[in-house]
Amino acid sequence: MRSIAIIILLAIVAVGIGVALMAIPFGVAKTQVGDHYTESGIGDTGASNIVTSVVVGYRAFDTLGEITILFVAAMGLGAVLAGGRKLGQRRDVEPASLILRTGCRFLFPLLLLFGAYIFIHGHLTPGGGFQGGAVIASAFLLVYLSCPGRRVSKVWSQTTESLGALTFVVLGLVGLTVGGHYYLSSFMPHGVVNELFSAGIIPVIYVAIGLKVGSDLTGIIDGMMEETI
Amino acid sequence: MVSPVLLIVIPLGLAFCVPLIGMVSKRFARFVPVVACLFNLVVSVQLLPAVLSKPIVVDLGGFGAPFSINLFVGPVGILFSLLIALAGFVVSLYALAYIDKGPTTRYHTLYLLLLVGATGVVLTGDVFNLFVFFEILCISSYVLVAYRGDKDGVESAVKYLIQGALGSALLLTGIGLLYGLFGTLNMAHIAVQAGSADPIPLFVAMALIVVGLGVEAAIFPLNAWLPDAHSSAPSSISAILSGIAIEVGLYAVVRMVFTVFGASSMLSFLMFLGVLTLLVGELCAFAQSNIKRMLAYSSIGQIGLIIFAIAIATSGSITGGFFQLVSHTLSKALLFLAAGYMIYRSGSMDISSLEGMGKRMPLTAFAFAVGAFSLVGLPPFAGFPSKLLIIRGALADGGALLALLVGLVLLGTVIEGAYFFRVIQTVFFKKGDGETARCEAPAIALVSMFVLVALIIVIGVYPSLIIGVLNSAASELLVRADYIGRVLG
Repeated sequence: MRSIAIIILLAIVAVGIGVALMAIPFGVAKTQVGDHYTESGIGDTGASNIVTSVVVGYRAFDTLGEITILFVAAMGLGAVLAGGRKLGQRRDVEPASLILRTGCRFLFPLLLLFGAYIFIHGHLTPGGGFQGGAVIASAFLLVYLSCPGRRVSKVWSQTTESLGALTFVVLGLVGLTVGGHYYLSSFMPHGVVNELFSAGIIPVIYVAIGLKVGSDLTGIIDGMMEETI
Repeated sequence: MVSPVLLIVIPLGLAFCVPLIGMVSKRFARFVPVVACLFNLVVSVQLLPAVLSKPIVVDLGGFGAPFSINLFVGPVGILFSLLIALAGFVVSLYALAYIDKGPTTRYHTLYLLLLVGATGVVLTGDVFNLFVFFEILCISSYVLVAYRGDKDGVESAVKYLIQGALGSALLLTGIGLLYGLFGTLNMAHIAVQAGSADPIPLFVAMALIVVGLGVEAAIFPLNAWLPDAHSSAPSSISAILSGIAIEVGLYAVVRMVFTVFGASSMLSFLMFLGVLTLLVGELCAFAQSNIKRMLAYSSIGQIGLIIFAIAIATSGSITGGFFQLVSHTLSKALLFLAAGYMIYRSGSMDISSLEGMGKRMPLTAFAFAVGAFSLVGLPPFAGFPSKLLIIRGALADGGALLALLVGLVLLGTVIEGAYFFRVIQTVFFKKGDGETARCEAPAIALVSMFVLVALIIVIGVYPSLIIGVLNSAASELLVRADYIGRVLG
């Protein structure tokens, strides 16, 4: 009986969404807002990557909210895991093989470099702070896999996390006071499009986000790892 | 004049500072929420006269209305941000003494972020931005419910998480459909085009959004998570969840239905749902023997009453609804705070274990009584003018159906009176067989409770103090064209 009710309910939701999707034209460029982004995105923000001009330019305030969500989620996971942990239950872990250790040692600096490249070039090429941060976190994941005894310093990761987020907030406040008097307005010169030092505050924000997301995700990995060891 | 965006970003920046300060000294970290809420309180009060004469639209990024995100700080927004700052301030004072064990730095960070999320939801003028702040609010409340790390807390937090995440998914789907239909996320820009849109996909989007938000707003039948979550959270968090979080969910529903969709056909449905929520909440509350569960169910009832009042959609009834919202926030926060220390001292959440508390903690018990009387709607407390306004507003229209619904609402109030008086009787007139020594709550907690007591009495005696703000808030909801014109110019 209960499962029938659930199926009927799901069917209603599915039909509703289906009907609504039928009425929405797909792949048609008809929106005023979208057209504006593609046409004047580069001119408005100086970023040649249009996605970045939307994410850190037009809708930067959303991005500030999103990094906050990630911050809350990482912190929440830490709180819940810390609550459920029983002390003195550490299992012995088999050390990683020589191949894994050597491979990780080789890859770790390259991954850090690649992650940094992705977020520093976020305004020029596909990628950005979130993606670069995820790559950096994957470098630390490799360290955790190859050397189970090693830990990232909690103090360092927390400091990077907080300072990264604070940089974003403060940059916005600077925009409010000196340039244009809008929160998060781009008060730095836009420079020449397609050069590394261009697009105003966007690269600065992306570096801050990259470091913050990297340490957030590393913190999550750290919490999860501690649970398994 | 200060920019209203500071109401969001200063507390947000301070929240990111809390872990850093906590590394140096845990004792300092707990004062950060107090400072942040005080800042918001001062700025909100400062902005109030300007906002009442003309709503402020804040462009973020400076690209112009539909292209970048904007805040809309009208009477409704400033009313909510004032309430959030006020309740947040009082509860953070209380938490100075109450939260003394466990990862306190984490508590204070998440608590402040919860308030930031709530303030963001009520001030933003962009549907996706609303979703983002809504998530900040929800995720930090999931974590705070599990703060104590005991089995009950974690279990109810997981329940809350699953239902809340489902709600968020529906909300996001609805927002996606809206963007597909209109190609914009700006509330005013959607509102302009909503009138001429294809009604079926518009209805689907609205249904998804209202159901998604309804989970957080605890509208029946989407409120199964609430009694567990509100009763197993630390009492300071219960006070904020009951006093702020569900109200903010309600705000989002109201803003969507009134301003974005302008769906007047939805209102009679919401009205019935409100009365149903009210009756279910009050009846369940009556059956509880656990004090915090009783208060949690009573919040469901109160939310039902507010929905009922706002859905009547006359100027008088919406004013009454907002008044009820203010009085509920103050009274329910007070009740949870007072109950928190009574539970702490008696060691049990059973109503029967509170016997003799009137002697052991007279001031706390007095504060509890004030909250209870105000919620039931006795003069001279804030609940009296609010219920009076709702009933006057509902009956002014005249219909027989509304009169019947008002009868049901009054029945709900009678049930409410019955279970609150039962608790009052237990607290004051039954002799406990255990301890009789005085053991009052700490001074700082008493200060926070008596701030609320004073506000409840002042508003109850001089309702005209806030009526002006509430009236302009009601007209902001009713006159959609004003909102649209203000944003799109």
